[in-house]
This record gives sequence, C-alpha cells and structure tokens, in this order.
Amino acid sequence: MAASKPITRPLVSIQALDGDMATDSDAASLPLPDVLRATIRPDVVRFVHDNLSRNKRQPYAVSRRAGHQTSAESWGTGRAVSRIPRVPGGGTHRAGQGAFGNMCRGGRMFGPTKIWRRWHRRVNINQRRYAVVSALAASAVPSLVLARGHRIESVPEIPLVLSDSVESIEKTSSAIKILKQVGAYADAEKAKDSLGIRPGKGKMRNRRYISRKGPLIVYGTEGSKIVKAFRNLPGVDVAHVDRLNVLKLAPGGHLGRFIVWTKSAFEKLDKVFGTFETPSELKKGYVLPRPKMTNADLGRIINSDEVQSVVKPINKDVRRRTLKKNPLKNLATMLKLNPYAKTAKRMALLAEKQRVKAKQEKLDKKRSSLTKEEAAKVKAAGRAWYKTMISDSDYTEFENFSKWLGATQ
Amino acid sequence: MATVSEPLIWEIVRNNNAFLVKQFGNGNAKVQFSKEKNNLYNIHSFKYSGLANKKTISIQPGGKDLSVVLATSKKKQQNKPASVSHRSLLKKEFNKMAKAVTNQVNPLKVQVSDNYYRPDLTKAALARLSAVHRSLKVAKSGPKKRNRQRQPLPKAI
Repeated sequence: MAASKPITRPLVSIQALDGDMATDSDAASLPLPDVLRATIRPDVVRFVHDNLSRNKRQPYAVSRRAGHQTSAESWGTGRAVSRIPRVPGGGTHRAGQGAFGNMCRGGRMFGPTKIWRRWHRRVNINQRRYAVVSALAASAVPSLVLARGHRIESVPEIPLVLSDSVESIEKTSSAIKILKQVGAYADAEKAKDSLGIRPGKGKMRNRRYISRKGPLIVYGTEGSKIVKAFRNLPGVDVAHVDRLNVLKLAPGGHLGRFIVWTKSAFEKLDKVFGTFETPSELKKGYVLPRPKMTNADLGRIINSDEVQSVVKPINKDVRRRTLKKNPLKNLATMLKLNPYAKTAKRMALLAEKQRVKAKQEKLDKKRSSLTKEEAAKVKAAGRAWYKTMISDSDYTEFENFSKWLGATQ
Repeated sequence: MATVSEPLIWEIVRNNNAFLVKQFGNGNAKVQFSKEKNNLYNIHSFKYSGLANKKTISIQPGGKDLSVVLATSKKKQQNKPASVSHRSLLKKEFNKMAKAVTNQVNPLKVQVSDNYYRPDLTKAALARLSAVHRSLKVAKSGPKKRNRQRQPLPKAI
C-alpha cells in the first residue's frame, strides 16, 4: 500500500500502436496516478453499488382497483359458509364466489404493491467517490482483475494505457484490431461468447439474455470518436475520465474491472481525483482516502524483528493432566502419600499370620488324639448299643403295627 | 506498481472470485476448490492460491507426449500479465523432471543456493508433477488398450 510520504511513483508504460508516428515526442511512460494506489475497500464498493444500482428502477404496481371491482358483501353467519364477502346475484358462476380477500380467486393480492415505494437511494457523495476510487485502485491489481474473471493473460501491462492515437479511430473494425494488438481482445471475445439465457422469471420481463462484461475503455478527450468505435462491441463499455461510474467500474459490486486507458485519460486522473497531497481540481475539497496501514503485509509485520523481539517464546512443553487415583485402593499412590504405610501393612500381615498360627496350635492341643484302649472302648460301647437296639425292635407288643402295615395277615 | 500486499489480496479474493468452486456440502463438510492454473493442489487456500501469492508455481501438461510445462512467476513482473511467468518445458524422464521441479521450487534441497523460492510448496509441486505425468501416461496407453480388447463383430444369426 502507499506510504504517507511522497515516494518515487512507479512508472506505467504507454503501449504504442502500429499506426503511431515513430517520432513520438511524448514520453513512453507515465507516473502512476495516486488514485490507483488508494485504499481498496470491497465493502464500500458493494454498499455503494447496491444502492446506486437501485436508481435506475422504474416504479411498478398492480392496479389500484384490482380485486375490488365488485359489490360483494358478506352473507354473515348462519349460512354454513365462511364470512368472506361474496359476489351478489345469480345466473353466473361468479355469483356467490368469495371476493376481495387475498385468499380468494379474483381477489386482491396481499399487500398490493404501490408506486410510492422507495425506489431510489441517496448515497453520500464522499462514499460514492470512495467507491469509485476503490474500484479504480482494484483495477490496477492484476490479481483482482483476474479474480473478477477477465482474460488478461496476454495483456502486456496492468494498468493498460494506450497511446492517444486510439482516440481518433472511428471504426469498430479498427477498434477490434487495436484490442487484438494489446492482447485485450480475448476479454471482449469472452464477453461476446458468453451470451446465454437468463435463469428465472426475468426472461419474461424483457431481460431475456445475459452476458459477461468485457473491458472498459476510458478516454480523455470530450467528443472523441472512440465512443462510436467501441460501443458496438458486446460487453465493452466506454466512459470518459470525468464521468467514471461505479456501476461500470465494478459491475455487480465486484472489484477489478479490466480497464483500458487512453493516454490523455490516464494523465487526467490526478487532476480528477487529486493525489494524496493535493486535493482534486474537479471535485471540490476532495482528497484521496489514505490507507489505515502503511504496510498491510501481515507476514512481514509478524516476522519483523520489532515484533519478534517482544513476543513471548513459544510454549513448547506439553502438560498432560494426570488421572486422580484413590490411595485407599491403589497401593503405589498410598506409598507416595505415606511411606510408612508399607511397614504398617507388612506388620499387620505378620501379626495376622502369627495370630492364625497361635489359634491353630491352641486348637490342636485341645483336640489331642485318643489312645488305643480308649478307642477300643468307644467302639465296644457303640457295638453294644446297636445290639440292644436290634433286640428291642423285636418286641412282641408291637405286632399290631406290623398288622397295619400289612406285613402279617 | 501499486503493490498490494498478499494478505490483503487474499482477504478480498477469499470469499468470492472467478476461480472459486463451492459445490460440496456445507459447514464443516465443505471443501473449496480453485480453478487457477498456478494452484498446485487446486485448493482454495492462502498458501496454494495463485491470485494472492507473488511467487507461484504451475505444472501443466506440455501438450506433446509426456512433456510437462513448469512455470514460476516472476516477482518483479507482477503487473505484466503477459510476461509474468518463467516457463520451461520438461520432456526428459520422470526422475530428471522431478529434479528440475525441486530445483526450481526449493533449490536448497538440491544444491547450495541463495534462492528460497517456495520451499513450502516442494511436496505439492512434486505431487502435482507425478499426477500430471501419470495422467499423461494413461492418455498415451489408453487407445492401445482399447485396440487389444476389440472383439470381432458377432455374426448375424
């Protein structure tokens, strides 16, 4: 972007055409006008274009009386039909039909359009100038012209300035020849080939065909024949430097129209728009908008020594969050918290073992094993008891039982 | 020339331009492509953008056999669209082409040099080269394959 103090202005070469005199007294290049280095503000251009493009509209509306040309009245309640006004009379299908409402066939539309809509917009003059200047500055940046879709691959230089002999041509054929010479015809050709049919309803509203825009020719001599030479080329527009229009400079609100300047027009730019230092001669008190940043190259700013010397160093160590563990369940964590826990636990284990052992010994002592005679005695006692039991079961008094049981008849 | 900085051009161009292709999905699923010639991955991003960068690389089929055109843009000719790119036609075997491309894009990798053209695009340039080369090879061997598969017409019953 432009610096605030005067710097050496870059030069723009003037493309000489075939018919030019060899002894051209003028310089082969011109300094770049300050307008072409002004701030580029797509938002301003879009806003201004949006508003100014409304100024060409013509009012339209439906007829004031549409849908109301009947003496319909509601039938009221009690007739089992809705209370919409109904057309009176009989003998025709129209009688008894609903009228007036926007939901009725033959009724008025909802919110009928009126001719006193706000069709046109006023835009502050400084904003309009800002948009024009912005669009001009964008047209000097090849990337933005390419991004708008213009074919400028074979153009020798952007901005493209042609020598003044262009302004004297009268025929379209020679205009085409000149465009071909400077590599700008590809763009005009593209606009010519782009003719297509508009999608949507616009087709039936006298806007049937659409096509791309080609180059814009800007001339500087009033009453020049160049207008007639170029005006029949589809997509090519012609404008005078004094009357640059944002609708032509940024069609559709998109920055970066391909502009072909004549030398006199290019020279006049500083006079029309002024420079960063001197106000414009034609626009009273107008000075070009200055960029907010002298250097908009973000990478350069970030990587500059001034910035890099004060920024914090990159924080490289990665800190990971640890999972919280329950020390009552996890031994390792417990040991970390309480190193004595290990001894305590071991002691507890040993004590437990000791206790179990002691108990076992005590029990074993109590359960001392029998001697042989004692064991024989116990066995003999058992046998004796069995014998008495068998003999007792043979007791005769119980024969009734065996009878019941069906053992004996 | 009115040198407009690269980030500023990108800000102007990123939302809408003639080369932008937005047609797949919305939100997170969206991929934006770019039809610029000098965009190595055809991806709409600042790094690969051919509009916003002063140093760009383009790798295109050369039109004859397996040849490939390698073009790099000249930083000091930015305002001269007709002579902005430095073109060279590569028609040797693939290894030599790859070496030539690396040499242009990232000379440090091949030899000691003061030229840092676009080291960040080395991988992309080689990827593009191999993709272009492969497509050319397919185009070359395509008709042959069809010839081999051609069958005699079935006789009428």
